[in-house]
Amino acid sequence: MSRLLAAAVVALAFPGAAFAHASIIGTSPATQSRLAAPPRAVVLRFDQTVTITPRAIEVFSATGAKLSGPATTDRDGRVVSVPLAGLRRGEAYTVRWRATSSDGHTGSGVFTFGIGVTPPPPTEAYGASGPGWADDVARWAFFVALALLIGTIGLRLLVLHEPIPLRLSNWLYGLTTVGGIAVLNVGIAAFVLRAADAFQLPFVDLLYGDLSPLATKTRFGVAFVAMTLGYAAVTALVLLAWILDRPRLLWPAFVVGIGFATGLSLSGHQGVEPNSTFLTELADWLHLVAAILWVGGLIALATCVWPLAPELRRSAFLGFSRIATVLVAVLVLAGTYLAIARLTRVSQLWSTSYGQALLVKIAIVCVALAWGAAHHFVVRPRLERGHDAPRSVRRSLIGESTVAIIVLLLAAVLVNARPPAVEPVVGVRAGASQ
Amino acid sequence: MAPRAELVHWAFAAGFLLLGLILLAEVIVGNEVFAMRPWRLYLWPSLAFGIGVLLWPVAVFFTNSTLHMLAHGSWAEVAMLAGAVQLAVVRGKLHSRWWTLSLSFSMLVSAAAFLIHEQNPWFFSRSAFLHHAIGWTLVVAAIFPLGQALQPRRAVWGAGFAMTWVVLAVMLFCDRDVAPIFGHLSRFAGGAQ
Repeated sequence: MSRLLAAAVVALAFPGAAFAHASIIGTSPATQSRLAAPPRAVVLRFDQTVTITPRAIEVFSATGAKLSGPATTDRDGRVVSVPLAGLRRGEAYTVRWRATSSDGHTGSGVFTFGIGVTPPPPTEAYGASGPGWADDVARWAFFVALALLIGTIGLRLLVLHEPIPLRLSNWLYGLTTVGGIAVLNVGIAAFVLRAADAFQLPFVDLLYGDLSPLATKTRFGVAFVAMTLGYAAVTALVLLAWILDRPRLLWPAFVVGIGFATGLSLSGHQGVEPNSTFLTELADWLHLVAAILWVGGLIALATCVWPLAPELRRSAFLGFSRIATVLVAVLVLAGTYLAIARLTRVSQLWSTSYGQALLVKIAIVCVALAWGAAHHFVVRPRLERGHDAPRSVRRSLIGESTVAIIVLLLAAVLVNARPPAVEPVVGVRAGASQ
Repeated sequence: MAPRAELVHWAFAAGFLLLGLILLAEVIVGNEVFAMRPWRLYLWPSLAFGIGVLLWPVAVFFTNSTLHMLAHGSWAEVAMLAGAVQLAVVRGKLHSRWWTLSLSFSMLVSAAAFLIHEQNPWFFSRSAFLHHAIGWTLVVAAIFPLGQALQPRRAVWGAGFAMTWVVLAVMLFCDRDVAPIFGHLSRFAGGAQ
């Protein structure tokens, strides 16, 4: 007990001034730098003393050849270096490092540099295999969460008119908040998954991995940072709108939410492929926004409005039907444009995995559209004539939502896949995707 | 000049200190006197909500380790949600006294993040000691909101909850050091050069 007390006194008596474990404060070559000539060594500078093994820094070529010697530290233990040999101009290289700081935590990281060429981001470092099925699932969950967040707000602002019944209002706020929290958590999970692939480390070691090159030097990372902040603000605004009874706060939340969806378009294929233009990015964003407003609106209509506010069913259905027509038109036009931009030949639709996934997606989209058309041409006229909605409409709406969610899964697979028309820029990892 | 992370920790420690002092003031003067100015009731939940929102930038800008990002992200989330729930209680949107348990839940999640984050034993270093101390303090202190839910009129629960934040603030002010606790202090901690 006295030992514990003494420790507490010592601990509280002296305010410290250092990080909990060692962090890199500089590297040579710099992260993702383009050099004119081959360097003689890779040097890492830490803010604290570190302990290393001879394999603390390893440098690999695009083909996986190891070009680094044994690692050494300076007298202080803060500078770690390895000699290099056999580097050539016109190639990019991957640096992987591990160092144990004096608090016992083993940090690790990866970065790239190029000699006479622009190096790829760390997500395309040697050893990284690119997005797998877990990334697809994470991307899908992100789309669904985004649909809940933005689509529910959209339905409330664009279709329902305030004031709405309190119970319905609370449920819509609840659904939106669940969407916001899910967007934040799934976004973090997706980022860690991508880091896990780049680092090629067991999960326990990944926990002390230095993610800053990914967060600052890749479009995916920058989008992650911006979108996390943006959607945290959106979630906070939704909570405040609920607490303060100020539905008007949902407007800035809606605008910010739609705006930050550009992060996905700017960091995905439509923003990074060689033939990407402002138009492809804009089309991708419109495609995404139309999809999440449509899917999220459907879910909110089926799960909240229908069971909780029977008196609003007719107006909500008719209002959403009008908006859905516009959304589907945008969705189809933007999607067609993007397909034309990404596929140079029609035969690529069945001869490449990207094209095959696109075909499956188009087929399921057709099912969803047919379902929506049935609502539009069968249920809508009946409601317009003043009849009650058939009992089966809610189940039908849930069915359409389910099909739309499956479309989002295919969209997630396509976003993580590389279109066939694009050639790799620099060959650190051939066939790597963003 | 202290490292950037240091300044951020101190800023949040100041926030927790303020939180604790507001709660302590409420306990000292009593709920009735404290509620004579209704805005006072919004003070600490707003502060908790604000701390949660402001922790998000910390989570995404300090990515020098995965664990730090995950830990700060979880703290941001639970602080934001717990603050929002308490604001809703003050505002009259939520009525059940059991909503106080959201604070216990938040404290337990935060504690888990601290304890999982620290993989060294208690006496390995000051930061290790304080990570364990903060984690277990939060675990034990999670009983205070439970007590408030069961016995809302007993001041001891409110006092305990308030003091928890004062103690955590002091710990957080000190929680940045790699020095061994016993033997010697490193120069980072003001020990011999």
